[in-house]
Amino acid sequence: MLRSLTASIVQCRGIKHQVQIKWVRPDYVPSYKPEKSGDLENIPKITDDTLGQDYALSEEIKDAPESVKKIFSVSHLGFQAFKALAKKELTERVRRHQYDEDTTEYTIARLTAHIRCLQHTMEKYPKNIKAKQTCQELIDKRKKHLKFLRQYDYKKFEWLLEKLNIEYKGHPETYNKLSRKESLRKLTELHCDEIRNKKLHDYRNLLESQQGPFLKEKLEALKFIKSEQMELKLPITVTDQDIKKVEIQLEEWKVKDEIKQQAKKKKRHILLEESE
Amino acid sequence: MARKLSEAARKSLLLGQCIPTVKQNAVKIRVKRLELDENLLMYFKKDEFYYCHDPDKKCQTGDIVLIESLPQKLTKLITHQIKEVVYPFGDITDPVTGKKVAKERYREDIEKEAEIYGKLDSTFDYSKAPPRGWQEGKKDFTSKPTYTKYHVFDKNDPYAI
Repeated sequence: MLRSLTASIVQCRGIKHQVQIKWVRPDYVPSYKPEKSGDLENIPKITDDTLGQDYALSEEIKDAPESVKKIFSVSHLGFQAFKALAKKELTERVRRHQYDEDTTEYTIARLTAHIRCLQHTMEKYPKNIKAKQTCQELIDKRKKHLKFLRQYDYKKFEWLLEKLNIEYKGHPETYNKLSRKESLRKLTELHCDEIRNKKLHDYRNLLESQQGPFLKEKLEALKFIKSEQMELKLPITVTDQDIKKVEIQLEEWKVKDEIKQQAKKKKRHILLEESE
Repeated sequence: MARKLSEAARKSLLLGQCIPTVKQNAVKIRVKRLELDENLLMYFKKDEFYYCHDPDKKCQTGDIVLIESLPQKLTKLITHQIKEVVYPFGDITDPVTGKKVAKERYREDIEKEAEIYGKLDSTFDYSKAPPRGWQEGKKDFTSKPTYTKYHVFDKNDPYAI
């Protein structure tokens, strides 16, 4: 009876968090999206009135009427013709020779073109499961090819990333599922680090600010000792070098201190401007 | 005897691979070892990690390097130093002929083949290629370990997946 009463008055369930950290769960991004797959460029821009890949070679079409040209244009021929042109554009950036169709750079370029076309499809029809699946498979395949290329030819790998506008990120050590507890733990760690670094920085500043007055005192004391020793004709223990050393140190400190004061002033100005 | 052994262990060299790390003033080296399981009488692979001092930054991620222990520990973590880069990553030289290799073929042969078929301007040219590292932090994010994105920060970290 008593226990239930105290429990109802004093809540003791859960842990009271003393650190106020707000955790924002990152939005889910499907892996076929360009920001996940690492494509920094969209599908190549091909206008609707461009002729199909094979028909463009024909002699007759050059002086054909507009209506005929329209029939053999990409908009009329369909998405397959468009895809072929996109593939041609991307592969021509890295092709070794005219008959090159099986080298790694050609394969990666071809896969990239296909991936970008599928990403375009997915934007239009987000429920197209088949396209989503194929896109994911191709992205994985391309990543594998890039991984191997990186291992045996780093220079070419970097050149290819630049040419095709792809981003490459290594695999993480473990693919763990996102959880609230772990995320909060990491954030708390960051928070603790911040506090520690701030305290250390403040202490350092304090010590450095005390350096100047101490050096001045030391200089005066050294000079005084030397003059006393000269007067009393005692063996001189303070050399000119010692005094010079302290002078140099003092000058260095003054330069550093000035820079610090200026930075402080600037910060204050910025804060004042922001508040206004 | 024990002292001799420990001294010998200190002087001995280790061969390992440089792996991505967040540490800025040290490199992380993985040394692959085999460990005997006495019950099964079988060897199992076991990785050892060493943090090495590398002031000249001669070692990059993926390189196979020789490391030796420092006469005195630099910090609690940094116990070794890089002695020599044996195999730079992705830039392999054939030890017998001294020619550069890409996978199982000589680079010369690849270029010769392209010339026979009719070399295009889009071909990758090894002689004009800048040394490794010009895409680091731009498009090539492999120098630091990647991790699962766990929070929405103001600044987006490219190493968060």
